[in-house]
Amino acid sequence: MKGLSPGILFFASIFTGNILLTYFLGMCSFLAVSGKIRTAAGLGLAVTFVMAITSALNWAVYTYILVPLGVAYLTTIVFIVVIAAVVQLLEMIVERYSEGLYLNLGIFLPLITVNCAILGAALFMVIRKYTFIQSVAFGTGSGIGWLLAIVALAGIRERINEEKIPPALRGPGIALIISGIMAMAFIGFSGMVQIQ
Amino acid sequence: MKRTPDEQKIHGNFLPGAVTRDGFLGSDSRHIHDIVLEDSRTMERLGLSAGEIADRLQFFLDEGKKGLEAPVVSGAFTVHVEWHKGSLPCPFGETGLHPKIMARLCSNQTGRCIRFSQMNIHLIRRHGFFEGIGSPLRLDPEELAAFLELRK
Amino acid sequence: MDNGIIATVAALSALNGFLAWLLVLAEKWLADYGECTIRINGERSVRVRGGLSLLSALAGEKIFLPSACGGRGTCAFCKCKVTEGAGPLLPTELPMLNKKERAGHVRLSCQVKVKRDLSVEIPESLFRIREYQAEVGLIRDLTHDTKLIRLTLVDPSEILFKPGQYIQLESKPYEKIRQKVMRAYSVASPSSETKSLDLIIRLVPDGICTTWVHRHLKQGERVRFIGPMGDFCLHEGEGEIILVAGGSGMAPMVSLLAEIREKQIRRKVTYFFGALAKRDLFYLDEMHTFEKDIQDFRFVPALSSPAPDDVWNGETGLITTPLRSYLEKENRAAAQGYLCGSPGMIQACIKVMNACGISEDRIFFDPFS
Repeated sequence: MKGLSPGILFFASIFTGNILLTYFLGMCSFLAVSGKIRTAAGLGLAVTFVMAITSALNWAVYTYILVPLGVAYLTTIVFIVVIAAVVQLLEMIVERYSEGLYLNLGIFLPLITVNCAILGAALFMVIRKYTFIQSVAFGTGSGIGWLLAIVALAGIRERINEEKIPPALRGPGIALIISGIMAMAFIGFSGMVQIQ
Repeated sequence: MKRTPDEQKIHGNFLPGAVTRDGFLGSDSRHIHDIVLEDSRTMERLGLSAGEIADRLQFFLDEGKKGLEAPVVSGAFTVHVEWHKGSLPCPFGETGLHPKIMARLCSNQTGRCIRFSQMNIHLIRRHGFFEGIGSPLRLDPEELAAFLELRK
Repeated sequence: MDNGIIATVAALSALNGFLAWLLVLAEKWLADYGECTIRINGERSVRVRGGLSLLSALAGEKIFLPSACGGRGTCAFCKCKVTEGAGPLLPTELPMLNKKERAGHVRLSCQVKVKRDLSVEIPESLFRIREYQAEVGLIRDLTHDTKLIRLTLVDPSEILFKPGQYIQLESKPYEKIRQKVMRAYSVASPSSETKSLDLIIRLVPDGICTTWVHRHLKQGERVRFIGPMGDFCLHEGEGEIILVAGGSGMAPMVSLLAEIREKQIRRKVTYFFGALAKRDLFYLDEMHTFEKDIQDFRFVPALSSPAPDDVWNGETGLITTPLRSYLEKENRAAAQGYLCGSPGMIQACIKVMNACGISEDRIFFDPFS
């Protein structure tokens, strides 16, 4: 989409078009890893890293390989392959440089591959015909938006007293209700910027 | 169900040679979680909790320990306990070690005996795990409840 | 359009190939920690391959830290002070270390990965622990569930140990078992015997190592063990010596008695040996020989559950019975107690000894119970 400044796009993808709270993408690890702020922040940063890099890579692959060859119908599969490779790389980096985080995240690190927020951001970029800079801004911003949402949820969950919640709603139940309320709050941002 | 590397490592602990010689699964090919689930359904049907069964077994084990390896008569049962040196880690991967205490509990009336260890009591109480079918130390919850006269 | 299909397949294969190659490169670079230096006690340094656990890296350099769980992080025997280079405390270490240990840089060496240069502090006594290759010289049945194994040392050909110490024997794979495990057994021979050592091994139901020893170990077979280790030993003193040990607990006692005989120690010695029935008694001849050779030594076996056709005139009941009736006769404050056997037996005997005036600091027992 020509004309939209990357800066505005970056800001918008964090607040007005938050990939998690507005589009509800990337919910499963969001609900599962939002117990502690530290781990949530670690996962959020990992997702941001993956989204930023895969946005750039996927844009390049789409523009210079898929479109010229006329195989745009393979977009989804090829994007997934690229995302999977980047996540593998990330796993190795985390294991080497932050063993504590690697152990805390456990299975959720490789699960980033199937986090639909990442594929979603890549496909949005294609549908909305962003340029390279716009894609990177959008990807990074979406990642930070996701990070913001998960850290906020973790912060809230760490503070609520689970004792006062009816047993049936503890855990995922209350997490979804909180997410819904957070999403409603973010609706307040809508209309500030049009990014579609 | 595809297993994560963590789960595969834990499953490995249940095989022969990892913690005990015969392992905990016998010829059972089910996933450990499935074994626990089915046994828990049996216990629900019987109206018993894992804690109750574990308590009863622990009672007999403690009585047997007093005998310093000589058989001890306790009510309608005779229990013979051996306490070997060393300890074993829980196959589920928790921290903490369990002493190698083995008990042989026999009914004075019928002469039938069951064998269990301190580790078994921990596995039942904490994990609801009665070992896989075909394992020499498997304690089937239904038979166990009947033998220990726990049925309500 | 053939050209289109070929071009597409080629391009996509190239893309996948490129990504795969990138990952292989990354793994080589990221997972390779190169060589790291471990500085020990501020004096010597060893160079090891990075990526291993500290426990394995040191074992590779023939420095053996104790371990009962094989590096799984469950026994906490392998604690070691790492003053530099260990990285942040891992979630697997947290439950095993108390506040003081964490503050003092104590870590679980089986969980710490060697990724960069490290500085560690290891007690001097651990350096005397070595790896030995030995040959099984003799296997003899002592009772229905206990065997004597005599190992003739091959490399090194001699071993120096203090009576009361133990070694860790490595089992071999057999039947369905593909792993090797290490298990501790006290040395049952005199320390003056440096070219061979005796082990008394009792079959543990469902035990990995003891099943291997009892059912698969053959005379002439080569085995590997690590040792000597342990602090259980004879302590200086003038008072009498009370030994209590049943079953395989006899092992260190034989070594202690040999030491008493060789050094001609003049203290009064009494050995209470608890067993179930007559078939569980062994080494009776050896004990008679000790009674003859040692100035004032008495061997007191007690059967707690004699078989109907056991002809037995000796003590009966739990071992605590003859122990108590003997100790009660006089003031035993100067005596020392040495215990080896099942933890249950040890606890019961400590109670009796305390009640009869022997204080905790004068009672010694094998810690790996």
